[in-house]
Amino acid sequence: MRGNRRSLRHLSQNSTNSDVGPPTHQRVRSAGSPSCIIQTLWAKKPIKKMTAQEVRLCGLLLQEHFGEVVERIGTHLLRGGAQNLRTIANETNTPLDLVKKSLCVLVQHGVCDFGSGRRGPGSPVEYRGNCERVLRILRYPRYIYTAKTLYGDTGELIVEEVLQRGHMTMSNTVKTVADRLTHNMEEGRSMEYSEVVSSFSKLVETHFLQRCPPVAETATAAPSATPATHRTPASVTPPTAESNPDCYKLPPVTLTGRGKRRRSSDDGEEPGGVKKAKMDSESCGDEGIYWQVNFERFHQHFRDQAIISAVASKLDQTSSEIVRTMLRMSEVTTTPTAAYTQPLSANEIFRSLPPNYSISRPILDQYLSLLVDDPMEFVGKSGDSGGGMYVVNLHRALANLARATLESVVQERFGSRSARIFRLLLRKRHLEQKQVEDFAMIPAKEAKDMLYTLLSENLVQLQEIPKTPDHAPSRTFYLYTVNQLPTARLLLQHCYKTVANLIERRLFETKENKRLLEKSQRIEAILASLQASGAEPEQLTEVEEMITAPERQQLEALRHHINKLDSTENQVDETIFLLESYIISTKSK
Amino acid sequence: RPNLQATKCIVFILFMQGQLDLLRNSSGLLYRMKDAQTASKMKGSDNQEKLVYQVIEDAGNKGIWSRDIRYKSNLPLTEINKILKNLESKKLIKAVKSVAASKKKVYMLYNLQPDRSVTGGAWYSDQDFESEFVEVLNQQCFKFLQSKAEVARDSKQSPMVQRNSSFATSHEVWKYICELGISKVDLSMEDIETILNTLIYDGKVEMTIIAAKEGTVGSVDGQMKLYRGVNPIIQPTGLVKAPCGLCPVFDDCHEGGEISPSNCVYMAEWLDF
Repeated sequence: MRGNRRSLRHLSQNSTNSDVGPPTHQRVRSAGSPSCIIQTLWAKKPIKKMTAQEVRLCGLLLQEHFGEVVERIGTHLLRGGAQNLRTIANETNTPLDLVKKSLCVLVQHGVCDFGSGRRGPGSPVEYRGNCERVLRILRYPRYIYTAKTLYGDTGELIVEEVLQRGHMTMSNTVKTVADRLTHNMEEGRSMEYSEVVSSFSKLVETHFLQRCPPVAETATAAPSATPATHRTPASVTPPTAESNPDCYKLPPVTLTGRGKRRRSSDDGEEPGGVKKAKMDSESCGDEGIYWQVNFERFHQHFRDQAIISAVASKLDQTSSEIVRTMLRMSEVTTTPTAAYTQPLSANEIFRSLPPNYSISRPILDQYLSLLVDDPMEFVGKSGDSGGGMYVVNLHRALANLARATLESVVQERFGSRSARIFRLLLRKRHLEQKQVEDFAMIPAKEAKDMLYTLLSENLVQLQEIPKTPDHAPSRTFYLYTVNQLPTARLLLQHCYKTVANLIERRLFETKENKRLLEKSQRIEAILASLQASGAEPEQLTEVEEMITAPERQQLEALRHHINKLDSTENQVDETIFLLESYIISTKSK
Repeated sequence: RPNLQATKCIVFILFMQGQLDLLRNSSGLLYRMKDAQTASKMKGSDNQEKLVYQVIEDAGNKGIWSRDIRYKSNLPLTEINKILKNLESKKLIKAVKSVAASKKKVYMLYNLQPDRSVTGGAWYSDQDFESEFVEVLNQQCFKFLQSKAEVARDSKQSPMVQRNSSFATSHEVWKYICELGISKVDLSMEDIETILNTLIYDGKVEMTIIAAKEGTVGSVDGQMKLYRGVNPIIQPTGLVKAPCGLCPVFDDCHEGGEISPSNCVYMAEWLDF
């Protein structure tokens, strides 16, 4: 997982990734292109306001993955809303061709989309950044690791390649992955294309990969298109991948062949498997059919995992297996933002249980009714036909997980007794000072202190209820309360800031030790070339000793620091995922 | 036929002698024989004392503050104080410190048990909230419930039976605590329930209410409260694994400032750990 992350960073060493190539569906501005009035509404679509922390984090992620120039353009787009090419170039003081290349990169990765300008058709195209998409970059290691657990090394590499490139054709992906896998195999063995194709198709079948959405307009390439050319009316919002009925259909091509081993001594071979795959000029018949990672599907998988492990902790292993079965049955029938799954009958559930979980039918009914009775309400009963109709309460589960997250933060940061007060207020909604003391059984002075601390951190709010119209303090009720949704939003912003802090610290540590790192890299390169050309062991030792012992220690400490920061970023991202899912699920209720 | 007129005379004389209490209810005036002991002690008192004594008696076991005695009896402060001292020395009344305001003293009849609102109940001894005692009870109750749940889990019976046997009624917990003998004061089942509620707010215990037949041991108003130890549904969340998640100066931190990720001492310590 770490290696994947670092390889993504190496990608950013090349300034603007001009080798990724222009996307095939770049809109060509044609002079007389007619379009519907509806299209102009695209530019006026309200965009989510971004907070300073989100912009900061997005900037850091863009810089790490795509380099400085793309970061500058990207941040400018995220801050400023929809803008046209000229504006971007002028305001960021960047030469036009660099701006174009950066926009290419951003569009390729789905960070930026474009549409006609606000002054109507015929006005310059406007580009708009998508902040949520940039934040997804933080989760790449988790996506890759999940693909590995589900579909092995092949699946891992496929997802990694598609994430790195944004959009890829199937043939391209298969060739690249086969080459990479072959490289890691022993001499004389190579990876069959068909194996990679089968992993690829499994990923598509389970909706983890999807075709890229069709472009908004089918633009005619010829600048002399007549105004009378019939155009299909464009939709108000950029079309989603799901709007294409062939979204999960594999292209009808057969790929045969084996991966080629990349040798450093081969003549004429380009360094880097990435470029080599691109140079392959065989046409495979699936041009124009590009694939991207379906983030929503991965998120659904993460959400299901979180729910299953919550059930396992609260109840037991068997209950969690039953919930896992129910969620598996609902994978493709439930929309991502549904509040609960489609009803499943107990008969169906019984038939779909995994074969190694042989529980009898009456026992299953007992487990189901225990799940329904549990105060956390993971599962609900929606009817009695078919032996009982059951649903998984997705929104309730997310709300419980978010609530547990908030409580966890208060507990770790302020202590168990403050956490007790926090949970008390979550349950009882509104309480006076005295009631808090009595219910929580905490002496008055300490309870007051804790409440004021929580209040100053905005985790607890004070509501005034005046008894008399003059709002005199002695005749007003002061009630403490906790609102889950705004508190979740607040903590989410804290998470964004924390991740940005961790990234900045990591960059700082790397910069501080730049000289040492460069030296170590040089030595390694020398060692590698010496070994390849068959050097004596004494020569190798001599080179190794060029790094002193204290320097080795320092390098080791640096490696430890970087690893720790990196893995903590991923851990905070788990919190981000839970809070974001809860907020989205609540908003769409 | 008893002579009504004669009865009235005798009652009147007894009252003037101070042997009768005069009370009123909806049907008219009532007379009651005064307690002989108190009556003898009050013999030497004058009417003012009697009045003050009456006022204090009316306050029952909640007691009454000296200022309120003044309002009710309309006597000047110095007189009140003298009378109170007098009554106290005769052991007719006593002063009890109220837990609500530590400087306040309420007066009540000598042989009355002060009400809970005054003493603070089982959790207060001499006006101090016994935090440690509450903490110990909290832990003991939790251990009891936790081990009951574990026994139920290990019993490998059908899930319904397992769950039901992991519950304990508040009465069971109360009995366990009483038998432990860790409490100097007598604890009621209600007291134990307030402790169990704090465990609910700690996220360690959950409660359900079931209907119970009247007369079942531990049932109150046809209901019984059942408690069970539970596990948290998540591990401590990712945010708190970073020093920023616990940082006291989180809001003051920004790159380029005095407190920044680059020069953060908490980060440095945490990284070297």
